[in-house]
Amino acid sequence: MNAIREKTAQGQSRDPLLSMRGIGKTYGEVRALSDVSLTLAAGEIRAICGENGAGKSTLVKALTGIVAPDKGEVWLDGAQVHFAAPKDAQAHGINLVSQELSICPDLTVLDNIWLGALSLPFLHRRADLRSRAAEVLKRLGAEHIALDGLAGHLSTGERQLIEIARMLARDTRILILDEPTATLSDKEIHVLMSALKSLRAHGTSILYITHRLGEVFELCDHATVMRGGTVVADLPVAELTRDRLIELMLGRALGHMFPEHHIADGATFFAIDRLNVPGAAHNVSLSVTKGQIMCLTGQLGCGADEVIRVVAGLVSHANGRITLDDAEIPLGRPEVARRRGVRFVSGDRAEEGVFIDRPAWENLVAPRFVERGGAKLVQNRALRGEAAMLADRSTLARHRLPVRTGDLSGGNQQKLAFGRNIGDGAAKLILMIEPTRGIDVGARAEIYRLMRDFCEQGCAILMASSDFAEVLGIADVVATMFRGEIVKTYKTGHLDMTRLIADVTHPEEENA
Amino acid sequence: MNSDTDLSGPLRPSFESMKARITLGNAVTLFAVLVLAALALATPGFLSMPAIRSLVTTVSFTGCVAIGMTFITLSGNLMSFSLGASLSAATLVFVATLGAGIWPAILAALLFCAALNALQGWIVGYFRANPIIVTMASFAIITGVATSLTGGRGLYILTNVAAGLKGNLGPVPGPFAAFAICALIAQLILSRTALGRRIVLTGTNPRAMLAMGAEPWKAVVWAYALAGLFTGVAAVLMAARYGSGDLQHGIGMEYSAIAAVLVGGTAIEGGRGSFLRTFLGALFIAVLQSVLVLRGFSTEWQRFGMGAVVLLVILLQRK
Repeated sequence: MNAIREKTAQGQSRDPLLSMRGIGKTYGEVRALSDVSLTLAAGEIRAICGENGAGKSTLVKALTGIVAPDKGEVWLDGAQVHFAAPKDAQAHGINLVSQELSICPDLTVLDNIWLGALSLPFLHRRADLRSRAAEVLKRLGAEHIALDGLAGHLSTGERQLIEIARMLARDTRILILDEPTATLSDKEIHVLMSALKSLRAHGTSILYITHRLGEVFELCDHATVMRGGTVVADLPVAELTRDRLIELMLGRALGHMFPEHHIADGATFFAIDRLNVPGAAHNVSLSVTKGQIMCLTGQLGCGADEVIRVVAGLVSHANGRITLDDAEIPLGRPEVARRRGVRFVSGDRAEEGVFIDRPAWENLVAPRFVERGGAKLVQNRALRGEAAMLADRSTLARHRLPVRTGDLSGGNQQKLAFGRNIGDGAAKLILMIEPTRGIDVGARAEIYRLMRDFCEQGCAILMASSDFAEVLGIADVVATMFRGEIVKTYKTGHLDMTRLIADVTHPEEENA
Repeated sequence: MNSDTDLSGPLRPSFESMKARITLGNAVTLFAVLVLAALALATPGFLSMPAIRSLVTTVSFTGCVAIGMTFITLSGNLMSFSLGASLSAATLVFVATLGAGIWPAILAALLFCAALNALQGWIVGYFRANPIIVTMASFAIITGVATSLTGGRGLYILTNVAAGLKGNLGPVPGPFAAFAICALIAQLILSRTALGRRIVLTGTNPRAMLAMGAEPWKAVVWAYALAGLFTGVAAVLMAARYGSGDLQHGIGMEYSAIAAVLVGGTAIEGGRGSFLRTFLGALFIAVLQSVLVLRGFSTEWQRFGMGAVVLLVILLQRK
């Protein structure tokens, strides 16, 4: 580790490998970037932090030749370069690993690594490719991945490594990672972190875009903080604190991220009794009182998401008993669950959370179309009024209501998915999976506030989350899960991070 | 929310909305309409009253089927290959029940056609079967059963009972008036009823509907039932016009209907479109066909023209 740090320090003293100077980009009337500068030394990992809309992705697009900046210069190795298309940037060894992986599951790992490599001659020696691919995997500390295995058999984390290996095989000197850990489990994140550290030791430079502040401190040497299309800070990570970083990103102090916990006890409002989901969850029982936020937490695949989906009525092959407010909720009947007061806010916003092709206001009032008789005329004017009211209650700016939902930030989409349930007072229990995944810090605090306000009206929330800071911050009751079973249930204040991580990784130690 | 279409707020680059307004597709569509209009006007005989009357009468039949097809497309199920066969079968039902009077016969034809398609909608929606395959199979089944029951012969209207359906509404041919009214009713269902909104929401994202506890399959069944209903209207109009119920009536009908829906600009992936668009699309197709006929192109070349138009539209729909 020390050696790596020294190497980095050396890198700083020389001319930087990459330097972007005074980059500006305007879309129509909107200035996406103005006077943005950053440098990157060989073997440096630089974090780019900022809220959604801060200009991070435009900056990346400018660097990878996807968009042409209106102003500014890009210098590489002391010479000015122009990227007219992504392949120009690739030719200079600048490659992006985007959030959506492009792994072909039906090809072998080896083929995936060489997929799309421009430098590959039509005739080539396969043995050559093998040894180069193996060398790249070794550099990543991923020698255990078999080159001849099908990529489809790999975990998400391993696929991510293959994607990175693909970039390295193309002689990448500057690797850009856009939220690489968004869909990874904790263990996989750990593996990725060490792979990236190993790359740094080999001299590869990395631009690291992330919402997860912990990763900035664990991994990065420098941080460029962006806000509103400009760079507001450019600091060594060692000189930053978590609070300072949030303040820089938001342009204000965050205040309290999490609202107060709900302490008072009461009668059971919602209960699950001996729920079994074949292959996913076993013998899960829990109970929630009015006003509580209960959270199921664990590693990816621990069964928490499945339990939530069962309550939502979306899983048909489960058994067990679920009651809400003294009424039984039959399994596998989403429409009955809805009538009994259950609402589901999916973690997969684009796929099943919101209607991304419809305007925002329609998302807020979509339940009205479901509740009403089909032949009944809808009063669009009244519905728009209702949408405006719901937008106010969900802290969504009214001028966003006519916008196509897919053009809104993740935070605003989540406000729609949540806000549509709070209008009519019929919702008793809201189910959420990863309520703030991919949502920036500012919107996150607002969503926590919405969740708490909802519960204070005599309702409850059951959520699943693998973001442990969130679990500890928002939940009144936490059930830790491991391989489909609840390890232990804690009231707020009786659980800390160490214990939580111990529970979700090694439950047997708990029993000892 | 005074001006709900105002996108000029500070949020989105106006670039985005501009892109939506002036797309290549829109420009080409406008161009195509102008070219066709010029061609039509320059075609001898196009502007004569009998030619126009015949044009708007034929467009009514495909037009009503296209309205039905639009419901299916909007619901996210691409298109139906069995609407033509349903139409043929419904003309037979209409003629066969005409003995009971004109109104019972209309009702029977409409209900039969709606039920026939609702059944397909149930298979598509509830079992999540591929709509193309289901409707192709239905096409074969309907045609097969109908042929064996009728021996392939048509049924003829021997009385004068359906003559009222051939009349005019002032200067407007009756079928065209019916088509226009159908388009208006369909548009009303789409934009002003909860069912219409459900069909659109299901078309854009059935999984989100399910997660909301909304039973997307029911919306699909309704979309198919409405498709059948409006196809039934076309069946009644055709049977009355040609004085027969015949398996030939619906042949190729779904193809013209699909062309009309697509040319109108309803998105093939569902969730986006309108009946006014389909109305205009049907007119476009009819004018195109009429120009091709009047200019002496053979049936083969007419088919070629239609196919080329559909391909072009699909290409233009890509972003």
